[in-house]
Amino acid sequence: MNFRIDRRDLLKASGALAVTLATPSILRAQGATVKVGVLEPLTGNLAYNGTQSAAGAKFAADKINAAGGIKSMNGAQIELVVVDAQSRPEVAASSVDTLAQAGVVAFTGATASALGLASSQAAAKYDLAQVFSIGTAENIVQRGLPNVFRFTPGVNKCTSVALENLKLLNEGAGNVVKTAAIVHEDGPFGSNMAKIMAAELPKQGIEVVETISHPTPHRDFSNIALRVKASKADILIPSNYINEYTLMARSLRQQRVELKAIYSILGGAASNIKFVRENQEVAQYVMDCNHWYDPNKEDSKALAAAASAAGLDLTYDVMVSYATVQVIADSLERSGSDDRKKMLEALAASTFDQSIMPYGPTKFVNGDNVNSRPVNTQIRGEKIELVFPKEFASAEPVFPIPAK
Amino acid sequence: MKLQSAGQIALVVAACAYLLSVYLMSSPVWIGFTINALIVAIIALSWNITGGFGGMSSFGHAALYGTGAYASAILQVQFGVNAWIAFGFGIIAGAAMGGFIGALAFRYGLKGSYFALVTLAFAEVLRICASSFAITGGGSGLQLRLDPGVGTLQFPDRTVFYTILLVVVALVMLLTLLIKKSRFGAYLVAIRENEDAARALGIDTYKIKVQAMVISGAFGGLAGALYLQLFLFIDSTVVYGSAVSIEALIGPIIGGAGTVWGPLIGTLGLHLLSEGAKHLLPNAPGLNFVLYAIVLICAVRLLPRGLMGLAALFGTFNSRKDDDHA
Repeated sequence: MNFRIDRRDLLKASGALAVTLATPSILRAQGATVKVGVLEPLTGNLAYNGTQSAAGAKFAADKINAAGGIKSMNGAQIELVVVDAQSRPEVAASSVDTLAQAGVVAFTGATASALGLASSQAAAKYDLAQVFSIGTAENIVQRGLPNVFRFTPGVNKCTSVALENLKLLNEGAGNVVKTAAIVHEDGPFGSNMAKIMAAELPKQGIEVVETISHPTPHRDFSNIALRVKASKADILIPSNYINEYTLMARSLRQQRVELKAIYSILGGAASNIKFVRENQEVAQYVMDCNHWYDPNKEDSKALAAAASAAGLDLTYDVMVSYATVQVIADSLERSGSDDRKKMLEALAASTFDQSIMPYGPTKFVNGDNVNSRPVNTQIRGEKIELVFPKEFASAEPVFPIPAK
Repeated sequence: MKLQSAGQIALVVAACAYLLSVYLMSSPVWIGFTINALIVAIIALSWNITGGFGGMSSFGHAALYGTGAYASAILQVQFGVNAWIAFGFGIIAGAAMGGFIGALAFRYGLKGSYFALVTLAFAEVLRICASSFAITGGGSGLQLRLDPGVGTLQFPDRTVFYTILLVVVALVMLLTLLIKKSRFGAYLVAIRENEDAARALGIDTYKIKVQAMVISGAFGGLAGALYLQLFLFIDSTVVYGSAVSIEALIGPIIGGAGTVWGPLIGTLGLHLLSEGAKHLLPNAPGLNFVLYAIVLICAVRLLPRGLMGLAALFGTFNSRKDDDHA
């Protein structure tokens, strides 16, 4: 048997050997991974929102990793540890153990205030930071927990901004809205909102003529629609989650309830493109004051494209979850470490202004980002347009709903 | 609690071994998971008094659990009462709620599915009330201030809380055993088997049933108050929601209703099954519930007397197979 090695074969073999031998060092050069937790309700009542949020976190991690990871940590790649909170507070709290054991440096979540309250309390024992994607209840940031960082606005800020904008809209339209009906879910989110609205609307000269609560889940909105109709309210202010919001809007249509406006605050469906797509007629001119990204930023456009490519609806859950992972990544970049205490310090000192949200530089005061703010959206045709504030607006608001 | 088969002894030993092994695992995940399971086991033991021994199947044990949790929370948050005193009142409030529901339902002769529906209605009414009134925190619920310490009944070291829970579960089981061995327990079983016959024999069935509801309420209130001290936050759905009522009855049914060990074994088994399914299917959230449900359906179909009944079939010591089921 005769073996002949020519120059080309030798080069190939040498190259292959060099790559093989170099592989471990190449992997080392890319840096290890840094784990970030995502605690969301992937099953249960809040599964839709939780799944969307988890997707948002993944888009952000993919983007950051593709751009070279965490540079101060030798390009460490973000590895997400996704845990299902099952829409139950005690499971959310227990899931923090799983995250801590997995070695996450911080985590984002958890869609509903009740889940976040339980998880952040459990995380405090581990000095583990929770960057709230959504957690509107104000008691989240009133407990003095050093591991709580709420990036998005709470219910008080959302409500005050929404009321200011409603006042402007109503004045601009010649104060056509004089009476209001409030329909809210009976959990922390809806009840808080209803209480604030009942106290604040009369100060604007709007009388609350009907307040109706319902549980979540709730399926038959016929009676609620009839009560709204009987109240002869000019405006309806709903505070409920996506399924109930959709069913309520359909019932209002079926019962031919004539309203001058539907004005949501943190509305479950009012800023949801799925609702718009599936309920075209019902959804028109519905206005919402909610979390929303700045559509003009490059990262926002990239996210929209990524979501579209993945066949995913671009909801605010996706946006805020994406943004919270950006905030965590920025803090990692500055701390240069996966140490949890250093992460807490880095988050507390965060002045990040590159997120996709229309916020100023992050500034956490008692865990609340004082520079966060909600925006007003309105459903127009097949789109959700941003109508307030002016600097981000993609359309002029239409108020009241034009007569048919 | 005389175990009459090697199978039952093996089941009990396995449960005890698991509970003790948690100390050795030093895994926060398993401690947290088992703490949750033990709290559910207490509400299951509560259901077992009325549903298991007395045949009064309730679909609304959340009413007792939630009342215990809310009573303790209201006293601590709204009135600044010491946590230990509030905890005691939580148990008393649970017992009072049990007595109230029982007195009202049995006064009008409700039994079977009618009693089940009334308890369900009570839990639902209480849930709505708790989400409506300011004293219960409305929809926002009530939250205890994080203040670890023995005086506040908050234990940062969860091994301590776990040990306390183990002792509480043991005490509740001991009380269950005493009830079972007592004349009162015999009356309850007589009512379960044939209430008319029991009445004909001179048993004051109304009084016995209400007393059973009071005891069950105290256990339920205890579970609720413990939940509050662990998670420091409750709202109406968390403690009065139907999930609590379902968990209360599923454990005893799977483990063996009317037995001392059944509720604990059933609850532990179900929680381990759920957790195991989650680990088997880590990337498919929700599929673990499907697996869980399939096993549950099979268990209900194939194990009419629960795991304790199944275990009794293996290595029987004597001919009185029903001894632990009485």
